[in-house]
Amino acid sequence: VRVFLIGAGQVGTTVVEALHDDHEITVVDTEASRLQALTARFDVAVFEGDGTSRKDLAAAGAATADLVIACTSRDEVNLVAGMFARREAEKSTTVIRTSSTEWVDLWREGQLDVDFVVSSELETAYAISRILGVPAARQTDVFADGQVQLAEFDVDEDATPTVVGVPLRNAPIPEDSKVAAVIRGDETTLPGGDDDIRRGDRIVVIGSPGAIKAWSTLLWPAGGAVRDVVIYGAGRVGTAIARVLITQGISVRLIEAAREQARRAAEALPKARVFNATGIDPDFLERERIGHAQAGIFAMRDDAKNQYAASLARVHGIPFTVAIAHDAVSVSAFEQSGIDVSINPRAVTAEEIVRFAHDPRTQQVAMLEGNRYEVLDVTTRESSRYIGMAFRDMPVHGSLIGAIVRNGEAVFPHGDDVLQTGDRVIIFTEAANAPWVVEAL
Amino acid sequence: LSQATARIGRPRRFAIDLPASLNLVGMLGKYLGLAALFPIPLALGYGEPVHPFLVAGLVTSGLGWALERATRASAGRVGVREGFLVVSLTWLLAAAFAAIPYLFEGGEQLSSPLDAYFEGMSGFTTTGASVVTDFDEINRSLGLWRQFTQWLGGMGIIVLAIAVLPRLRVGGRQLMESELPGPEIAALSERIRSTARKLWFLYVGLTAIQAAMLSTLWVVGIDDLMTPYEALAHAFATMPTGGFSTQPTSAAAFSAASQWILALFMALAGANFALMYRAFVQRRPQALARDEEFRLYVVLVAGAATAVTIMLWAYGIAEGEEAVRTATFQVVSIITTTGMASADFALWPSLLLLALFALMFVGGSAGSTGGSIKVVRHLLLGKVLRREVDQTLSPEVMMPVRLNGTPVDERTLRAIAAFILLYVGLWAVGAAVIAIESAIGGLELGTLDAMATSATTLGNVGPAFGVAGPYGSFAEYGEASKITMIGLMWTGRLEIIPVVVLLTRHYWRL
Repeated sequence: VRVFLIGAGQVGTTVVEALHDDHEITVVDTEASRLQALTARFDVAVFEGDGTSRKDLAAAGAATADLVIACTSRDEVNLVAGMFARREAEKSTTVIRTSSTEWVDLWREGQLDVDFVVSSELETAYAISRILGVPAARQTDVFADGQVQLAEFDVDEDATPTVVGVPLRNAPIPEDSKVAAVIRGDETTLPGGDDDIRRGDRIVVIGSPGAIKAWSTLLWPAGGAVRDVVIYGAGRVGTAIARVLITQGISVRLIEAAREQARRAAEALPKARVFNATGIDPDFLERERIGHAQAGIFAMRDDAKNQYAASLARVHGIPFTVAIAHDAVSVSAFEQSGIDVSINPRAVTAEEIVRFAHDPRTQQVAMLEGNRYEVLDVTTRESSRYIGMAFRDMPVHGSLIGAIVRNGEAVFPHGDDVLQTGDRVIIFTEAANAPWVVEAL
Repeated sequence: LSQATARIGRPRRFAIDLPASLNLVGMLGKYLGLAALFPIPLALGYGEPVHPFLVAGLVTSGLGWALERATRASAGRVGVREGFLVVSLTWLLAAAFAAIPYLFEGGEQLSSPLDAYFEGMSGFTTTGASVVTDFDEINRSLGLWRQFTQWLGGMGIIVLAIAVLPRLRVGGRQLMESELPGPEIAALSERIRSTARKLWFLYVGLTAIQAAMLSTLWVVGIDDLMTPYEALAHAFATMPTGGFSTQPTSAAAFSAASQWILALFMALAGANFALMYRAFVQRRPQALARDEEFRLYVVLVAGAATAVTIMLWAYGIAEGEEAVRTATFQVVSIITTTGMASADFALWPSLLLLALFALMFVGGSAGSTGGSIKVVRHLLLGKVLRREVDQTLSPEVMMPVRLNGTPVDERTLRAIAAFILLYVGLWAVGAAVIAIESAIGGLELGTLDAMATSATTLGNVGPAFGVAGPYGSFAEYGEASKITMIGLMWTGRLEIIPVVVLLTRHYWRL
């Protein structure tokens, strides 16, 4: 694969480090010194130029790229570079890094002209929620005002044995849900009742919000043990972590020393309890029972502060501490001082970007909305020949009805249920079949 | 040195541009005088005297014109500072304008200038407290004038001026905000004039629909007393949450069907007009359901009506549909500060009176024509108190107070707390003056009566208890009490701050 990389900073370097053996990489950056540092370590082509200049991109040979990665530290540069690169190499896949969660939402709505968006803040937040044993389902889509959800899960060692390796028709899968797709190695299948899920698979589930929660506990039985978390620092990282944890139903207390920052976080997160405090005042720690929290997350800007606050929190009784290490060097220092886990946001971001190059599964799932699979939301017509037909009798044709919305209520159909006129059908299908499905309904 | 002195000039003592303020008041008065033309066709039709209205119009427009001319040369720009004076003076002037026709045709009961001014202020501020004892002495055209003054005052004289007058030479927004009830107006559009026009459009529309519905009852023979004249007269008293009636027994004179229609439109008049514009005109009814203030308003009205129904039934005052209707009518009338009555609640037991007294402090919604404290202020004060309790334990916790999900500015919250304190303070002072004077003057007045009289005038409700009950009159109060009540009505209508600001030294002097 020909990889075209814009930005040779910390993220870019990590990406190069991971990919340079198997791929042909061209790196573009405005600073010659960074490029020299790269060529000294790795066998990559470099080009000194501006990622936002279409001329420079053409001169660097972007037209031949298969994968374009824009990962400078500036959002605007990444977006412009990604869009220009896409014009240069029309068949390439573009990945951009952003620190804006708003852009991630826009991308999900299909408003950004790039294939993938990776946010350091969100990736860090997801990483933390995985560490806490409440892995947030990635890329969750909602339909019918949130009554129907689409979520993606990794099936790993922790998964409850009763659902693994058992044909789906016999497995105790949560009611009101369906396994829409199983991704195993390079292959994606729409499973039937005889198929099973295995450890190492990644699965896509359609179901009610309750059923999605039930899947979480099935696949991560240890999850849900964490109920109360304290986060130090309400900057972009801290706020993103709080937001992800709150959606997992965890109660979050945020501590922020800067008054204005604290006010903004309190306004943005109605469900979090935000304190305007340094968090290292013993009276405060004692009075608010900070030590009773099950986990402390230290996401302040300054690594030294994170380290000190984490040590103090341990003294006050927080049993589990996770600290953000902005500088890669801090990671080892943190671990020396007894912090349980340290996370470097740039490394996490680079890892996620590398997955796009390495791991075809990631691409397939992330392309749910784009290429191979689609989720359709179709209202049945009177003339459809499936009206009045029981679901068990319907042909499979590489598509699956996840849910129907009847009179505004979501119904998760069983084999005996019958399709009616005017039902809104949420259907998971191979993109190639989509026109046929729309036609048939 | 002398050159410096020449440049520095003489000290300027005043912070306010008085000529500019008077100039604008004059212009507003000039146009306000035209309102006296409204009852003239009716007077001609019934063969009643026309001169009371002609004189009122000529005097008001003439004085306004003269004031405008006299101050034209030295008038500067009207800014935020001048706005308060303009609004306050305009409303004092409007009450006088309303009073002039009463002096001519109101008979003995309205012949004293103080009584006529009381009636005029009560009309324009949509209070509905009346000194009239003998309704036969009020002829039809004067009766309509009395109702019409409420209608003009309801949505605001200055809001009307902004909507219809060409090139009103003011920024407008500040002026409008000091007149419109409620701590904030949900701006319907960016431009202040089109907002004013939309509000008046809805106001006129709802008045017309109500008058048409009431007339229909007369046409089909359900209510023989509700003639088109009465229908219009009562629509003029409902939509502005006024409360004057042409009948000595207020709404009790009319049929049950009429009372239900009146109650419905009183309830609408107590809702936020900007919100209703979105719901009815722009066809987004979900706007109502989503609004926290509207939801609380509905809960308060429904809860209070249920409680009063139970009490009426338990006391044996009314039962069945009558109990529900009587309770709903009185509750809606007092919460929205309209003040019409379908029963003489002054005769009810004290527990019920206490309930009605408490409702006088509720008020309509922000951006409605209702007065008093207003639902949104209660709502936000409640949220602030809850936060205070929480912060007693954890002073560091940050809890933005939200209204409809949006954080409310701390400055606004302080202003609301200050408003409520001022409101209660003014009410207490008013009650004291009324109680003291009645004690000296030998007017028999209970403690609750004095307190309710102050609350009903400050909240622009209308009737009180005792002698000034819904079938009674304010005529018997002493002069000091009447002057106090006029002040309370005026201050209450302008939501206190524009008037109180005028009492500070730094408003006038540098």
